[in-house]
Amino acid sequence: MSESTRRGFVKNSAAAAAGMTVVGALAAEQADAKAAAKSGPVVAYIRKPGTGEISVMSGEREVKLHDRKIAARLARAARREAR
Amino acid sequence: MSSHREAPAISKDPVADNTDLYAFVSPDDPGTVTIISNYLPLEAPYGGPNFFEFGPDVRYRINIDTNGDGDADIIYEFAFETQVANPNSFLYNSGPILSIDSANWNRKQFYSVTRTSRGHRQVLGTGLACPPCNIGPLSTPDYDMLASEAIHSLPGGRTVFAGQRAEGFYVDLGSIFDLGNLRPFENLHATFGLPALSAAVGVNGTDNFSVHSIALKVPISDLTRHGSTPTNVSSPDAVVGVWASASRQAATVREPWSDYVQEAGEWLQVSRLGNPLFNEVLVGMGYKDLWNSLPPSADNRFAAGVQHPELATLLPVLYPGVFPNLAKLSAPRADLVAILLTGLPAGVVPGFQNFTGSTLADMLRLNLAIPPSSKPNILGLIGGDPAGFPNGRRVFDDVVTVELRAIAGVTYPLVNSSYTPDVAAGEITDGLTPASLNLPFLNSFPYLGTPQGGYQTAPLGTV
Repeated sequence: MSESTRRGFVKNSAAAAAGMTVVGALAAEQADAKAAAKSGPVVAYIRKPGTGEISVMSGEREVKLHDRKIAARLARAARREAR
Repeated sequence: MSSHREAPAISKDPVADNTDLYAFVSPDDPGTVTIISNYLPLEAPYGGPNFFEFGPDVRYRINIDTNGDGDADIIYEFAFETQVANPNSFLYNSGPILSIDSANWNRKQFYSVTRTSRGHRQVLGTGLACPPCNIGPLSTPDYDMLASEAIHSLPGGRTVFAGQRAEGFYVDLGSIFDLGNLRPFENLHATFGLPALSAAVGVNGTDNFSVHSIALKVPISDLTRHGSTPTNVSSPDAVVGVWASASRQAATVREPWSDYVQEAGEWLQVSRLGNPLFNEVLVGMGYKDLWNSLPPSADNRFAAGVQHPELATLLPVLYPGVFPNLAKLSAPRADLVAILLTGLPAGVVPGFQNFTGSTLADMLRLNLAIPPSSKPNILGLIGGDPAGFPNGRRVFDDVVTVELRAIAGVTYPLVNSSYTPDVAAGEITDGLTPASLNLPFLNSFPYLGTPQGGYQTAPLGTV
């Protein structure tokens, strides 16, 4: 395989892989949305946003999630609303 | 009070407020144990139009510890639902309620009972009807009949009732909460320099009030570790610990311009009750809400309040010269620790034990091998009757007097024979007995008396 052909192959493969990732992410998002549509209300509680610990409650269940990004985004949103 | 409004947070949440707990071998059915857990303190019988009821958003539990670790091994859980027949009517009932399924009764409650033991969950009953509240001669003309229709048989020889009952805990609230005054002895009270008082008879502060009771009668074998029916009083397997609790879900969300309420999350305990007056008298104001959130296995952190009860230091101050020996008693109260937190080991009281081990845990401890007394004494064990408090608790036991006397030192010789209790320690009382109750106890399940009707109840008067 010539260099130019190889470069093209790599480029095309990368694009295909990226496309597959996007398609995969979209599919996962749709599946999540479907699952979310079936669930009841969800309550999230962040006692200390800096720790990234989120208590997610639905029905009688409660799970602990560690996600600094989501916690920070929600804290930022709360500050915006507070202004 | 026993545990009515005993902590700041739960005093604002009466529907979850555990007020009294009883556990005893049923006197008329001695192969069974009856456990009664009360909620909703000081119901005024005329408190309509939304009369009292259990909380559909509360989980009520009766917990049994079979191995002395202060954690529940057997749980009976009660979950309620309310059904409104006609939401357009403001009326609790639109005519006489002559039967528990009456179409005239607009707001009915039903419940389920679930037993969990070591991970095995068994639904014992669903759709079980509560009786209405006792309203008056036009609405509930035959209340005893309605209450009897609300006694349900469950599988395995169990029986259950959930609904309004007459308050059975007798106590002179007005006097005791007025700086530790006891009317029969108020001539001896320090009165803080105010004019002296004259001794008087006790006044039952709970008379004619109602509560909501969950009463459960089960075979003795339903409560033991190996499903046995103990006959040997000295066997460790004969003793179980009992406490009741109420839980709410972790989160409550309300929406604006709406009656929509969303609750979510785990069920978290907001009230519990083992021995009467424990949280009320022995736990400091700043820790009572915490205590209500914890299991008995965490009670080690409250031991200091039992070893050195505040009330024991107050009595000699409030009644100068009356408790000289108590005033000098500074050693940790191992007697109270045994009575309330571990049970009494064998050898302390001849022929009796209700010891559950070294774990400090506030539970009613019941020795199941001790049969009901043919001649009960309302002072229970200190009155020579091992079938009564603190071996469990019967509805008529005078727990106020027993605990007052114990704190005053009458039980300290159990752990230190050289101590001589003050004469007053053996006589102290708020002056009440079951005869002080306007509404008598029943001789059979659910044992607590018929609640007074709203129509028949006069508002509170003066002494």
